[in-house]
Amino acid sequence: MTVTESRRTRPDKPRADARWLQHLPPVLGVVAAVALWWAITVVFEVESFILPSPVQVGQAMVEQADYLWDNTLVTLAETLLGFLLAIAVGVPLALIVTASRMLERTVYPLLLMLNAVPKVAVAPLLVVWMGFGQFPKVFLVFLVCFFPIVISTAAGLSSTPADLVELGRSLKTNWWQTFHMIRMPAAVPQLFVGLKLAITLAVIGAVIAEFVGATEGLGYAIVASGASADTALAFAAMILLGVLSVALFYLLAAVERFFVPWAGRS
Amino acid sequence: MIGIRNVSQIYRTRAGEVEALREVSLEVADGEFVAIVGRSGCGKSTLLRLVAGLQSATSGEITVAGTPINGPRRDVGFMFQRPALLPWRSVIDNVLLPTQVFKLDRRDARARAHELLELVGLNGFEKRLPHELSGGMQQRVSLCRALIQQPRVLLMDEPFSALDALTRADLTVELQRLQMKHASTVLFVTHSVDEAVLLADRVVVLSPRPGRLRQIVDIDIARPRSLGHDGHSAELGELRARLHDLLMTPEEVAR
Repeated sequence: MTVTESRRTRPDKPRADARWLQHLPPVLGVVAAVALWWAITVVFEVESFILPSPVQVGQAMVEQADYLWDNTLVTLAETLLGFLLAIAVGVPLALIVTASRMLERTVYPLLLMLNAVPKVAVAPLLVVWMGFGQFPKVFLVFLVCFFPIVISTAAGLSSTPADLVELGRSLKTNWWQTFHMIRMPAAVPQLFVGLKLAITLAVIGAVIAEFVGATEGLGYAIVASGASADTALAFAAMILLGVLSVALFYLLAAVERFFVPWAGRS
Repeated sequence: MIGIRNVSQIYRTRAGEVEALREVSLEVADGEFVAIVGRSGCGKSTLLRLVAGLQSATSGEITVAGTPINGPRRDVGFMFQRPALLPWRSVIDNVLLPTQVFKLDRRDARARAHELLELVGLNGFEKRLPHELSGGMQQRVSLCRALIQQPRVLLMDEPFSALDALTRADLTVELQRLQMKHASTVLFVTHSVDEAVLLADRVVVLSPRPGRLRQIVDIDIARPRSLGHDGHSAELGELRARLHDLLMTPEEVAR
Protein backbone atom coordinates (compact mmCIF):
# COMPACT_ATOMS: atom_id res chain seq x y z
CA MET A 1 0.00 0.00 0.00
CA THR A 2 2.59 2.51 1.12
CA VAL A 3 4.88 1.37 -1.63
CA THR A 4 2.43 2.03 -4.44
CA GLU A 5 1.38 5.34 -2.97
CA SER A 6 4.88 6.71 -2.69
CA ARG A 7 5.53 5.49 -6.22
CA ARG A 8 2.53 7.32 -7.46
CA THR A 9 3.54 10.62 -5.87
CA ARG A 10 7.23 10.28 -6.79
CA PRO A 11 7.48 8.07 -9.85
CA ASP A 12 11.26 8.63 -10.21
CA LYS A 13 12.04 7.03 -6.81
CA PRO A 14 13.01 3.36 -7.02
CA ARG A 15 10.85 0.81 -5.21
CA ALA A 16 13.54 -0.45 -2.79
CA ASP A 17 13.92 3.08 -1.46
CA ALA A 18 10.25 3.34 -0.61
CA ARG A 19 10.33 0.00 1.17
CA TRP A 20 13.27 1.15 3.24
CA LEU A 21 11.28 4.25 4.20
CA GLN A 22 8.59 2.00 5.64
CA HIS A 23 10.97 0.91 8.40
CA LEU A 24 12.04 4.45 9.19
CA PRO A 25 9.33 5.39 11.76
CA PRO A 26 9.92 2.49 14.18
CA VAL A 27 13.71 2.95 13.94
CA LEU A 28 13.34 6.68 14.55
CA GLY A 29 11.15 5.96 17.58
CA VAL A 30 13.78 3.71 19.15
CA VAL A 31 16.63 6.12 18.37
CA ALA A 32 14.70 9.03 19.88
CA ALA A 33 13.90 7.08 23.05
CA VAL A 34 17.55 6.07 23.51
CA ALA A 35 18.70 9.65 22.87
CA LEU A 36 16.26 10.99 25.48
CA TRP A 37 17.40 8.34 27.97
CA TRP A 38 21.04 9.24 27.34
CA ALA A 39 20.28 13.00 27.66
CA ILE A 40 18.58 12.43 31.04
CA THR A 41 21.59 10.54 32.45
CA VAL A 42 23.93 13.32 31.30
CA VAL A 43 21.86 16.41 32.17
CA PHE A 44 20.79 15.23 35.63
CA GLU A 45 24.09 13.44 36.31
CA VAL A 46 22.26 10.29 37.44
CA GLU A 47 24.36 7.71 39.30
CA SER A 48 24.93 4.67 37.11
CA PHE A 49 23.61 2.21 39.74
CA ILE A 50 20.29 4.10 39.64
CA LEU A 51 20.02 4.69 35.91
CA PRO A 52 22.92 3.62 33.69
CA SER A 53 23.44 5.45 30.40
CA PRO A 54 22.81 3.67 27.08
CA VAL A 55 26.57 3.55 26.58
CA GLN A 56 27.10 1.70 29.86
CA VAL A 57 24.31 -0.73 29.03
CA GLY A 58 25.89 -1.30 25.62
CA GLN A 59 29.23 -2.00 27.28
CA ALA A 60 27.61 -4.47 29.67
CA MET A 61 26.01 -6.20 26.71
CA VAL A 62 29.31 -6.58 24.90
CA GLU A 63 31.38 -7.57 27.95
CA GLN A 64 28.84 -10.10 29.23
CA ALA A 65 27.70 -11.28 25.81
CA ASP A 66 28.21 -14.99 26.55
CA TYR A 67 26.44 -14.83 29.92
CA LEU A 68 23.49 -12.91 28.46
CA TRP A 69 23.23 -15.15 25.41
CA ASP A 70 23.15 -18.34 27.51
CA ASN A 71 20.44 -16.92 29.74
CA THR A 72 18.45 -15.69 26.74
CA LEU A 73 18.45 -19.22 25.33
CA VAL A 74 17.21 -20.59 28.68
CA THR A 75 14.32 -18.11 28.79
CA LEU A 76 13.54 -18.69 25.11
CA ALA A 77 13.37 -22.46 25.66
CA GLU A 78 11.05 -22.09 28.67
CA THR A 79 8.84 -19.65 26.77
CA LEU A 80 8.50 -21.83 23.69
CA LEU A 81 7.96 -25.07 25.63
CA GLY A 82 5.27 -23.53 27.80
CA PHE A 83 3.64 -21.92 24.77
CA LEU A 84 3.57 -25.19 22.81
CA LEU A 85 2.24 -27.03 25.85
CA ALA A 86 -0.54 -24.44 26.13
CA ILE A 87 -1.45 -24.99 22.47
CA ALA A 88 -1.36 -28.77 22.89
CA VAL A 89 -3.74 -28.61 25.87
CA GLY A 90 -5.71 -25.45 25.07
CA VAL A 91 -6.87 -26.24 21.53
CA PRO A 92 -8.28 -29.71 22.37
CA LEU A 93 -9.94 -28.28 25.47
CA ALA A 94 -11.58 -25.59 23.32
CA LEU A 95 -12.89 -28.36 21.04
CA ILE A 96 -14.38 -30.21 23.99
CA VAL A 97 -15.86 -27.05 25.48
CA THR A 98 -17.57 -26.04 22.21
CA ALA A 99 -18.82 -29.58 21.59
CA SER A 100 -21.60 -29.26 24.16
CA ARG A 101 -23.41 -26.50 25.99
CA MET A 102 -23.27 -28.54 29.20
CA LEU A 103 -19.49 -28.85 29.13
CA GLU A 104 -19.12 -25.18 28.28
CA ARG A 105 -21.17 -24.21 31.32
CA THR A 106 -19.22 -26.64 33.51
CA VAL A 107 -15.72 -25.72 32.39
CA TYR A 108 -15.88 -21.96 31.71
CA PRO A 109 -16.33 -20.78 35.32
CA LEU A 110 -13.38 -22.95 36.35
CA LEU A 111 -11.26 -21.49 33.57
CA LEU A 112 -12.22 -17.96 34.59
CA MET A 113 -11.31 -18.68 38.20
CA LEU A 114 -8.01 -20.20 37.15
CA ASN A 115 -7.27 -17.12 35.08
CA ALA A 116 -8.15 -14.78 37.94
CA VAL A 117 -5.41 -16.27 40.16
CA PRO A 118 -2.40 -13.90 40.10
CA LYS A 119 0.39 -15.84 38.45
CA VAL A 120 3.00 -14.01 40.55
CA ALA A 121 1.46 -15.62 43.62
CA VAL A 122 1.62 -19.07 42.06
CA ALA A 123 5.33 -18.89 41.18
CA PRO A 124 6.66 -19.66 44.69
CA LEU A 125 4.13 -22.46 45.10
CA LEU A 126 5.33 -24.02 41.87
CA VAL A 127 8.84 -24.10 43.32
CA VAL A 128 7.47 -25.89 46.38
CA TRP A 129 5.61 -28.40 44.24
CA MET A 130 8.02 -28.89 41.37
CA GLY A 131 11.45 -27.91 42.63
CA PHE A 132 14.06 -25.57 41.18
CA GLY A 133 14.42 -27.01 37.69
CA GLN A 134 13.04 -25.68 34.42
CA PHE A 135 9.71 -27.41 34.67
CA PRO A 136 8.00 -24.96 37.08
CA LYS A 137 9.03 -22.14 34.69
CA VAL A 138 7.59 -23.95 31.70
CA PHE A 139 4.47 -24.65 33.71
CA LEU A 140 3.95 -20.99 34.63
CA VAL A 141 4.33 -20.00 30.97
CA PHE A 142 1.74 -22.66 30.20
CA LEU A 143 -0.61 -21.17 32.82
CA VAL A 144 -0.49 -17.64 31.41
CA CYS A 145 -0.78 -18.76 27.75
CA PHE A 146 -3.46 -21.34 28.25
CA PHE A 147 -6.42 -19.03 28.87
CA PRO A 148 -6.22 -16.72 25.83
CA ILE A 149 -5.67 -19.76 23.59
CA VAL A 150 -8.72 -21.64 24.91
CA ILE A 151 -10.97 -18.56 24.76
CA SER A 152 -9.96 -17.49 21.25
CA THR A 153 -10.16 -21.01 19.81
CA ALA A 154 -13.56 -21.58 21.39
CA ALA A 155 -14.76 -18.20 20.07
CA GLY A 156 -13.54 -19.10 16.57
CA LEU A 157 -15.21 -22.51 16.65
CA SER A 158 -18.55 -21.12 17.75
CA SER A 159 -18.64 -18.20 15.30
CA THR A 160 -18.49 -19.98 11.93
CA PRO A 161 -19.89 -17.59 9.28
CA ALA A 162 -23.61 -18.27 8.75
CA ASP A 163 -23.33 -18.73 4.97
CA LEU A 164 -20.71 -21.47 5.44
CA VAL A 165 -22.88 -23.24 8.02
CA GLU A 166 -25.76 -23.11 5.52
CA LEU A 167 -23.48 -24.46 2.77
CA GLY A 168 -22.66 -27.44 4.98
CA ARG A 169 -26.35 -28.01 5.63
CA SER A 170 -27.19 -27.90 1.92
CA LEU A 171 -24.55 -30.58 1.27
CA LYS A 172 -25.77 -32.58 4.27
CA THR A 173 -22.25 -32.86 5.70
CA ASN A 174 -21.93 -35.14 8.71
CA TRP A 175 -20.48 -33.92 12.02
CA TRP A 176 -16.90 -34.80 11.16
CA GLN A 177 -17.07 -33.28 7.66
CA THR A 178 -18.59 -30.08 9.02
CA PHE A 179 -15.86 -29.94 11.63
CA HIS A 180 -12.75 -30.55 9.57
CA MET A 181 -13.90 -29.02 6.28
CA ILE A 182 -15.64 -25.91 7.64
CA ARG A 183 -15.61 -25.12 11.38
CA MET A 184 -11.96 -25.85 12.22
CA PRO A 185 -10.37 -23.96 9.31
CA ALA A 186 -12.82 -21.09 9.83
CA ALA A 187 -11.61 -20.82 13.45
CA VAL A 188 -7.91 -20.49 12.58
CA PRO A 189 -7.80 -16.65 12.27
CA GLN A 190 -9.33 -16.36 15.76
CA LEU A 191 -6.86 -18.96 17.05
CA PHE A 192 -4.02 -16.72 15.87
CA VAL A 193 -5.47 -13.74 17.75
CA GLY A 194 -5.16 -15.82 20.91
CA LEU A 195 -1.69 -17.11 20.01
CA LYS A 196 -0.33 -13.59 19.47
CA LEU A 197 -1.74 -12.45 22.79
CA ALA A 198 -0.36 -15.57 24.49
CA ILE A 199 3.18 -15.25 23.13
CA THR A 200 3.59 -11.77 24.62
CA LEU A 201 2.32 -13.06 27.96
CA ALA A 202 4.56 -16.13 27.68
CA VAL A 203 7.77 -14.10 28.02
CA ILE A 204 6.41 -12.30 31.07
CA GLY A 205 5.41 -15.65 32.58
CA ALA A 206 8.90 -17.07 32.09
CA VAL A 207 10.51 -14.05 33.78
CA ILE A 208 8.14 -14.12 36.75
CA ALA A 209 8.97 -17.80 37.24
CA GLU A 210 12.70 -17.06 37.03
CA PHE A 211 12.42 -14.43 39.76
CA VAL A 212 11.74 -17.24 42.22
CA GLY A 213 14.10 -20.11 42.83
CA ALA A 214 15.99 -19.97 39.55
CA THR A 215 19.69 -20.25 38.75
CA GLU A 216 19.55 -19.21 35.11
CA GLY A 217 17.46 -17.29 32.59
CA LEU A 218 17.07 -13.57 31.89
CA GLY A 219 14.72 -13.14 34.88
CA TYR A 220 17.37 -14.62 37.13
CA ALA A 221 20.00 -12.36 35.49
CA ILE A 222 17.89 -9.28 36.30
CA VAL A 223 17.46 -10.28 39.96
CA ALA A 224 21.11 -11.31 40.38
CA SER A 225 22.61 -8.20 38.78
CA GLY A 226 20.14 -5.97 40.65
CA ALA A 227 21.26 -7.52 43.92
CA SER A 228 24.90 -6.74 43.14
CA ALA A 229 23.99 -3.17 42.03
CA ASP A 230 25.09 -3.96 38.46
CA THR A 231 22.17 -1.99 37.07
CA ALA A 232 23.68 -1.77 33.59
CA LEU A 233 23.63 -5.58 33.28
CA ALA A 234 20.03 -5.68 34.56
CA PHE A 235 19.09 -3.17 31.88
CA ALA A 236 20.86 -5.20 29.22
CA ALA A 237 18.86 -8.26 30.26
CA MET A 238 15.60 -6.29 30.17
CA ILE A 239 16.34 -4.98 26.69
CA LEU A 240 17.01 -8.51 25.51
CA LEU A 241 13.68 -9.57 26.99
CA GLY A 242 11.94 -6.83 25.03
CA VAL A 243 13.70 -7.83 21.83
CA LEU A 244 12.84 -11.49 22.45
CA SER A 245 9.18 -10.64 22.96
CA VAL A 246 8.95 -8.47 19.84
CA ALA A 247 10.80 -11.06 17.73
CA LEU A 248 8.49 -13.89 18.82
CA PHE A 249 5.41 -11.78 18.12
CA TYR A 250 6.46 -10.89 14.59
CA LEU A 251 7.60 -14.43 13.91
CA LEU A 252 4.10 -15.59 14.81
CA ALA A 253 2.57 -12.87 12.64
CA ALA A 254 4.70 -14.11 9.72
CA VAL A 255 3.57 -17.70 10.35
CA GLU A 256 -0.03 -16.44 10.28
CA ARG A 257 0.46 -14.61 6.97
CA PHE A 258 1.94 -17.77 5.49
CA PHE A 259 -0.75 -20.19 6.65
CA VAL A 260 -3.80 -17.91 6.72
CA PRO A 261 -3.31 -15.42 3.88
CA TRP A 262 -7.08 -15.04 3.63
CA ALA A 263 -7.62 -13.88 7.23
CA GLY A 264 -9.86 -10.84 7.47
CA ARG A 265 -10.39 -10.66 3.72
CA SER A 266 -13.47 -12.72 2.87
CA MET B 1 -39.33 -33.25 -12.04
CA ILE B 2 -40.40 -30.98 -9.16
CA GLY B 3 -43.86 -31.30 -7.64
CA ILE B 4 -45.10 -28.72 -5.17
CA ARG B 5 -48.59 -29.55 -3.86
CA ASN B 6 -50.65 -27.32 -1.53
CA VAL B 7 -47.58 -26.14 0.33
CA SER B 8 -48.11 -23.77 3.25
CA GLN B 9 -45.50 -22.41 5.62
CA ILE B 10 -46.21 -20.69 8.92
CA TYR B 11 -43.38 -19.29 11.05
CA ARG B 12 -43.91 -19.04 14.78
CA THR B 13 -42.17 -15.94 16.05
CA ARG B 14 -42.24 -14.15 19.38
CA ALA B 15 -44.69 -11.65 17.87
CA GLY B 16 -47.06 -14.45 16.82
CA GLU B 17 -47.60 -16.50 13.72
CA VAL B 18 -46.42 -15.29 10.32
CA GLU B 19 -47.92 -16.92 7.25
CA ALA B 20 -45.13 -17.07 4.67
CA LEU B 21 -46.78 -19.29 2.06
CA ARG B 22 -50.41 -20.29 1.53
CA GLU B 23 -51.49 -23.27 -0.55
CA VAL B 24 -48.87 -23.01 -3.28
CA SER B 25 -48.92 -25.67 -6.02
CA LEU B 26 -46.53 -25.90 -8.95
CA GLU B 27 -45.26 -28.59 -11.30
CA VAL B 28 -41.89 -28.17 -13.00
CA ALA B 29 -41.16 -30.46 -15.94
CA ASP B 30 -37.82 -32.19 -16.61
CA GLY B 31 -35.39 -29.74 -18.22
CA GLU B 32 -37.66 -26.78 -17.60
CA PHE B 33 -36.37 -23.41 -16.36
CA VAL B 34 -38.86 -21.77 -14.02
CA ALA B 35 -38.29 -18.36 -12.50
CA ILE B 36 -40.09 -17.25 -9.35
CA VAL B 37 -40.58 -13.50 -9.01
CA GLY B 38 -42.29 -11.48 -6.35
CA ARG B 39 -41.82 -8.55 -4.05
CA SER B 40 -39.90 -9.00 -0.83
CA GLY B 41 -41.93 -10.90 1.75
CA CYS B 42 -43.76 -13.03 -0.80
CA GLY B 43 -42.03 -16.18 0.45
CA LYS B 44 -40.13 -16.95 -2.75
CA SER B 45 -36.90 -17.78 -0.91
CA THR B 46 -38.89 -19.84 1.60
CA LEU B 47 -40.37 -21.87 -1.25
CA LEU B 48 -36.89 -22.53 -2.64
CA ARG B 49 -35.52 -23.54 0.77
CA LEU B 50 -38.43 -25.97 1.16
CA VAL B 51 -37.61 -27.61 -2.18
CA ALA B 52 -33.94 -27.77 -1.11
CA GLY B 53 -34.92 -29.55 2.09
CA LEU B 54 -33.24 -26.86 4.19
CA GLN B 55 -36.48 -26.49 6.12
CA SER B 56 -39.72 -28.44 6.14
CA ALA B 57 -43.15 -27.18 5.18
CA THR B 58 -45.94 -26.71 7.73
CA SER B 59 -48.28 -28.57 5.37
CA GLY B 60 -48.34 -29.86 1.82
CA GLU B 61 -45.97 -32.09 -0.11
CA ILE B 62 -42.87 -31.51 -2.22
CA THR B 63 -41.34 -34.16 -4.47
CA VAL B 64 -38.26 -34.20 -6.65
CA ALA B 65 -38.00 -36.92 -9.31
CA GLY B 66 -41.01 -38.59 -7.75
CA THR B 67 -39.69 -38.96 -4.19
CA PRO B 68 -40.71 -36.68 -1.32
CA ILE B 69 -38.16 -34.20 0.02
CA ASN B 70 -37.22 -34.70 3.65
CA GLY B 71 -33.79 -33.09 3.78
CA PRO B 72 -31.00 -31.86 1.49
CA ARG B 73 -30.25 -34.30 -1.32
CA ARG B 74 -27.35 -35.04 -3.60
CA ASP B 75 -29.49 -34.77 -6.76
CA VAL B 76 -30.55 -31.22 -5.82
CA GLY B 77 -27.94 -28.46 -6.17
CA PHE B 78 -28.34 -25.16 -4.35
CA MET B 79 -26.78 -21.82 -5.21
CA PHE B 80 -26.91 -19.06 -2.61
CA GLN B 81 -27.31 -15.32 -2.89
CA ARG B 82 -23.75 -14.95 -1.65
CA PRO B 83 -20.90 -17.06 -3.06
CA ALA B 84 -20.32 -18.80 0.33
CA LEU B 85 -16.88 -19.99 -0.77
CA LEU B 86 -14.47 -21.44 1.76
CA PRO B 87 -11.84 -18.67 1.95
CA TRP B 88 -8.97 -21.08 2.70
CA ARG B 89 -9.65 -23.28 -0.33
CA SER B 90 -8.45 -22.53 -3.85
CA VAL B 91 -10.99 -22.10 -6.65
CA ILE B 92 -10.66 -25.71 -7.79
CA ASP B 93 -10.90 -27.09 -4.24
CA ASN B 94 -14.02 -25.05 -3.60
CA VAL B 95 -15.63 -26.51 -6.72
CA LEU B 96 -14.59 -30.00 -5.59
CA LEU B 97 -16.06 -29.67 -2.09
CA PRO B 98 -19.38 -31.45 -2.82
CA THR B 99 -17.57 -34.35 -4.51
CA GLN B 100 -15.46 -34.79 -1.38
CA VAL B 101 -18.50 -34.66 0.87
CA PHE B 102 -20.26 -37.24 -1.32
CA LYS B 103 -17.02 -39.25 -1.76
CA LEU B 104 -17.21 -39.32 -5.56
CA ASP B 105 -14.40 -40.55 -7.79
CA ARG B 106 -11.54 -38.06 -7.57
CA ARG B 107 -10.23 -38.16 -11.10
CA ASP B 108 -13.68 -37.80 -12.67
CA ALA B 109 -14.45 -34.93 -10.32
CA ARG B 110 -11.25 -33.05 -11.17
CA ALA B 111 -11.83 -33.42 -14.90
CA ARG B 112 -15.38 -32.18 -14.49
CA ALA B 113 -14.31 -29.26 -12.32
CA HIS B 114 -11.82 -28.11 -14.95
CA GLU B 115 -14.47 -28.46 -17.62
CA LEU B 116 -16.97 -26.36 -15.63
CA LEU B 117 -14.40 -23.67 -14.78
CA GLU B 118 -13.48 -23.44 -18.44
CA LEU B 119 -17.16 -23.11 -19.33
CA VAL B 120 -17.51 -20.02 -17.10
CA GLY B 121 -14.20 -18.56 -18.26
CA LEU B 122 -12.19 -19.24 -15.11
CA ASN B 123 -9.48 -21.45 -16.60
CA GLY B 124 -6.12 -20.28 -15.27
CA PHE B 125 -7.67 -19.24 -11.93
CA GLU B 126 -7.81 -22.75 -10.42
CA LYS B 127 -5.13 -22.13 -7.80
CA ARG B 128 -6.34 -18.68 -6.72
CA LEU B 129 -7.96 -18.04 -3.35
CA PRO B 130 -11.47 -16.54 -3.29
CA HIS B 131 -10.34 -13.17 -1.89
CA GLU B 132 -8.20 -12.71 -5.00
CA LEU B 133 -11.29 -12.86 -7.24
CA SER B 134 -13.96 -10.28 -8.08
CA GLY B 135 -17.53 -10.76 -6.86
CA GLY B 136 -18.67 -11.96 -10.30
CA MET B 137 -15.85 -14.49 -10.48
CA GLN B 138 -16.67 -15.75 -6.99
CA GLN B 139 -20.28 -16.29 -7.97
CA ARG B 140 -19.12 -18.18 -11.09
CA VAL B 141 -17.10 -20.50 -8.82
CA SER B 142 -20.20 -20.95 -6.70
CA LEU B 143 -22.17 -21.89 -9.83
CA CYS B 144 -19.54 -24.49 -10.78
CA ARG B 145 -19.72 -25.92 -7.25
CA ALA B 146 -23.50 -26.23 -7.51
CA LEU B 147 -23.13 -28.13 -10.81
CA ILE B 148 -20.19 -30.42 -9.96
CA GLN B 149 -22.30 -33.23 -8.50
CA GLN B 150 -24.47 -33.18 -11.67
CA PRO B 151 -27.72 -32.47 -9.84
CA ARG B 152 -31.00 -33.22 -11.61
CA VAL B 153 -32.40 -30.02 -10.18
CA LEU B 154 -30.60 -26.74 -9.66
CA LEU B 155 -32.09 -24.28 -7.17
CA MET B 156 -30.88 -20.69 -7.34
CA ASP B 157 -31.73 -18.11 -4.69
CA GLU B 158 -31.24 -14.63 -6.21
CA PRO B 159 -27.75 -15.71 -7.24
CA PHE B 160 -26.82 -12.50 -9.04
CA SER B 161 -28.48 -9.95 -6.78
CA ALA B 162 -25.28 -8.92 -5.00
CA LEU B 163 -23.46 -8.12 -8.27
CA ASP B 164 -23.26 -4.92 -10.30
CA ALA B 165 -25.57 -4.54 -13.30
CA LEU B 166 -23.04 -5.39 -16.03
CA THR B 167 -21.62 -8.45 -14.23
CA ARG B 168 -25.20 -9.56 -13.67
CA ALA B 169 -25.94 -9.31 -17.38
CA ASP B 170 -22.79 -11.33 -18.18
CA LEU B 171 -23.72 -14.08 -15.77
CA THR B 172 -27.30 -14.19 -17.02
CA VAL B 173 -26.00 -14.82 -20.53
CA GLU B 174 -23.65 -17.50 -19.23
CA LEU B 175 -26.33 -19.25 -17.25
CA GLN B 176 -28.55 -19.28 -20.33
CA ARG B 177 -25.74 -20.89 -22.32
CA LEU B 178 -25.07 -23.50 -19.60
CA GLN B 179 -28.72 -24.38 -19.33
CA MET B 180 -29.12 -24.71 -23.11
CA LYS B 181 -26.15 -27.05 -23.09
CA HIS B 182 -27.06 -29.22 -20.10
CA ALA B 183 -30.86 -28.89 -20.15
CA SER B 184 -31.05 -29.30 -16.38
CA THR B 185 -34.18 -28.43 -14.44
CA VAL B 186 -33.80 -25.02 -12.78
CA LEU B 187 -35.87 -23.20 -10.19
CA PHE B 188 -34.63 -19.64 -10.09
CA VAL B 189 -35.71 -17.05 -7.52
CA THR B 190 -35.20 -13.43 -8.49
CA HIS B 191 -36.72 -10.01 -8.11
CA SER B 192 -35.41 -8.95 -11.50
CA VAL B 193 -38.00 -9.09 -14.27
CA ASP B 194 -35.22 -8.91 -16.88
CA GLU B 195 -33.49 -12.01 -15.53
CA ALA B 196 -36.78 -13.89 -15.39
CA VAL B 197 -37.75 -13.02 -18.98
CA LEU B 198 -34.31 -13.81 -20.38
CA LEU B 199 -33.85 -17.14 -18.64
CA ALA B 200 -37.17 -18.81 -17.95
CA ASP B 201 -39.61 -21.00 -19.84
CA ARG B 202 -42.23 -19.95 -17.33
CA VAL B 203 -42.33 -17.16 -14.77
CA VAL B 204 -44.24 -17.74 -11.54
CA VAL B 205 -45.49 -14.54 -9.93
CA LEU B 206 -46.08 -14.72 -6.18
CA SER B 207 -48.02 -12.09 -4.26
CA PRO B 208 -46.93 -11.11 -0.79
CA ARG B 209 -48.29 -11.57 2.75
CA PRO B 210 -49.11 -14.37 2.70
CA GLY B 211 -47.20 -15.71 -0.29
CA ARG B 212 -49.67 -17.07 -2.84
CA LEU B 213 -49.33 -18.09 -6.44
CA ARG B 214 -50.76 -15.22 -8.42
CA GLN B 215 -50.08 -16.03 -12.04
CA ILE B 216 -47.83 -18.12 -14.27
CA VAL B 217 -46.57 -16.37 -17.39
CA ASP B 218 -45.25 -18.47 -20.30
CA ILE B 219 -42.22 -17.10 -22.11
CA ASP B 220 -42.43 -18.62 -25.60
CA ILE B 221 -39.40 -16.96 -27.10
CA ALA B 222 -36.61 -18.82 -28.89
CA ARG B 223 -33.17 -18.99 -27.26
CA PRO B 224 -30.63 -17.51 -27.07
CA ARG B 225 -32.43 -14.43 -25.87
CA SER B 226 -30.99 -11.02 -25.22
CA LEU B 227 -32.20 -7.60 -24.23
CA GLY B 228 -30.24 -5.97 -27.08
CA HIS B 229 -31.29 -5.30 -30.65
CA ASP B 230 -32.57 -8.56 -31.97
CA GLY B 231 -35.64 -10.17 -33.53
CA HIS B 232 -37.82 -10.64 -30.48
CA SER B 233 -37.21 -7.49 -28.48
CA ALA B 234 -40.83 -6.41 -29.01
CA GLU B 235 -42.16 -9.67 -27.52
CA LEU B 236 -39.67 -9.44 -24.67
CA GLY B 237 -40.68 -5.85 -24.03
CA GLU B 238 -44.35 -6.78 -23.89
CA LEU B 239 -43.69 -9.61 -21.40
CA ARG B 240 -41.48 -7.41 -19.26
CA ALA B 241 -44.20 -4.78 -19.08
CA ARG B 242 -46.81 -7.41 -18.18
CA LEU B 243 -44.66 -8.87 -15.38
CA HIS B 244 -43.81 -5.40 -14.17
CA ASP B 245 -47.51 -4.56 -13.86
CA LEU B 246 -48.22 -7.82 -12.04
CA LEU B 247 -45.52 -7.04 -9.51
CA MET B 248 -46.38 -3.39 -9.03
CA THR B 249 -50.17 -3.51 -8.72
CA PRO B 250 -51.95 -4.96 -5.71
CA GLU B 251 -54.03 -8.04 -6.43
CA GLU B 252 -57.43 -6.39 -5.86
CA VAL B 253 -56.86 -3.84 -8.64
CA ALA B 254 -55.56 -6.46 -11.08
CA ARG B 255 -58.73 -8.48 -10.71
